[in-house]
Parts: sequence; structure tokens; C-alpha cells
Amino acid sequence: MKRMIYLLPFVGVALLAVGVYFIKTLENPQGILQVLPYLFVGVGCVIFGYGMGEVILRQAMKRAPDAAKQLEIDRKDERNLAVSSQAKAKAYDMMVYVFLALIISVSMMGTDLSVLLLMVFAYLSILVYNSYHRIKFFREM
Amino acid sequence: MKNRLEEIRKQQGISQGELAAALEVSRQTIGSLENGRYNPSILLAFKIARYFGMNIEEVFIYEEDEKA
Repeated sequence: MKRMIYLLPFVGVALLAVGVYFIKTLENPQGILQVLPYLFVGVGCVIFGYGMGEVILRQAMKRAPDAAKQLEIDRKDERNLAVSSQAKAKAYDMMVYVFLALIISVSMMGTDLSVLLLMVFAYLSILVYNSYHRIKFFREM
Repeated sequence: MKNRLEEIRKQQGISQGELAAALEVSRQTIGSLENGRYNPSILLAFKIARYFGMNIEEVFIYEEDEKA
């Protein structure tokens, strides 16, 4: 798994290259081929960025073990974890209302029903996921 | 919950950084504990008390009428 991280930038660049190649070479693409090259470019960029970040971080940690130890302590620190959880909870509460407002706005714009249903499905999935974990943690704790 | 962490730490001549390193928490956590802004988990409370060779009640003071 650790070595896999070092492959990520290469995977990202490869996806990016494939995407750019298809954009340049495909003439009059139809169906999914209209979107696929751009998807490759997007996903390639994300994977490359994340992979490079991880590689640089790991190299820095190898060179400075004290800083790495401090980083590990900060990552596991219970107050930092509590702060992070509380921030996520606040963001979730806000997201529930923002997403709902967005769905209502989009529905009033007369957007395609499939787009609206997709948004409603995504919204309900998040709420169901919340309920699932609430029940799970209720039983576990 | 109030605590005597700062008082005990200073009595023993330990810096916040040293205590944080010994307990494997961030220095900010020690600062927040001393200021009373953060209440530790029971595990951390035990670790702190054990580090100073004391009982939890000697470091942390529970007050019946407090809300948090």
C-alpha cells in the first residue's frame, strides 16, 4: 500500500496523457466519447495532485523524523479530532439546508426531471447514510 | 470541569511542550486544558493523573452544578 502511493503521480499523468490524446485525435466523437476524454483529464489531474502531495509529504517525513512524529501526534490528538468532528457536524447541518434550498430552486427553474431526481436521490442517500450511522453508533456505544 | 493542571505542571517544573510530548498530545491541547476550554477524555485524564503520580480527583475537580 505504501509503495502504491508512489505510483499515483504516474497513474495521474498517464490518465491525463490519455485524455489529452483523445481530445486531440478524436474527430466528431459521439455518446460517452464526448465526455470521457475530459473525465480522464479531470481525474488524472486530481490523482496527480493528490499523489504528488503524498509523495512530497512522505519524503519530508523521512528527512525530518521529529517533524513526522509531531505530525502523527497532531493527527491523533483527541482535541484536534474533536474539533474536526464538530466542524464536520456543523458543515453537515448547513449542507442539509443548502442542498434542500438548491433542490427547490432547481425544481422551480423547470429543469429536466432526471436531473432533479438525481439530486433528490443524492440528498436522500446522504440522509439515509446519516440515519444508518446514527443507529450503528447507538448500538455500539 | 476545573483542573489544577497548570499549577501541578509548574510545581514540577515541566513546560507545556514537555508535558504534551510525554502524553503524546499537541501543545495546544495542554493549553486548552489549562485554560478550561477543553475537557479531556477519561483516557487522557487518566494519563495525565498517572503522569503526575496522582489520582484523577487530585488533578480534575468535578462540580455538581455545572452544565458541561
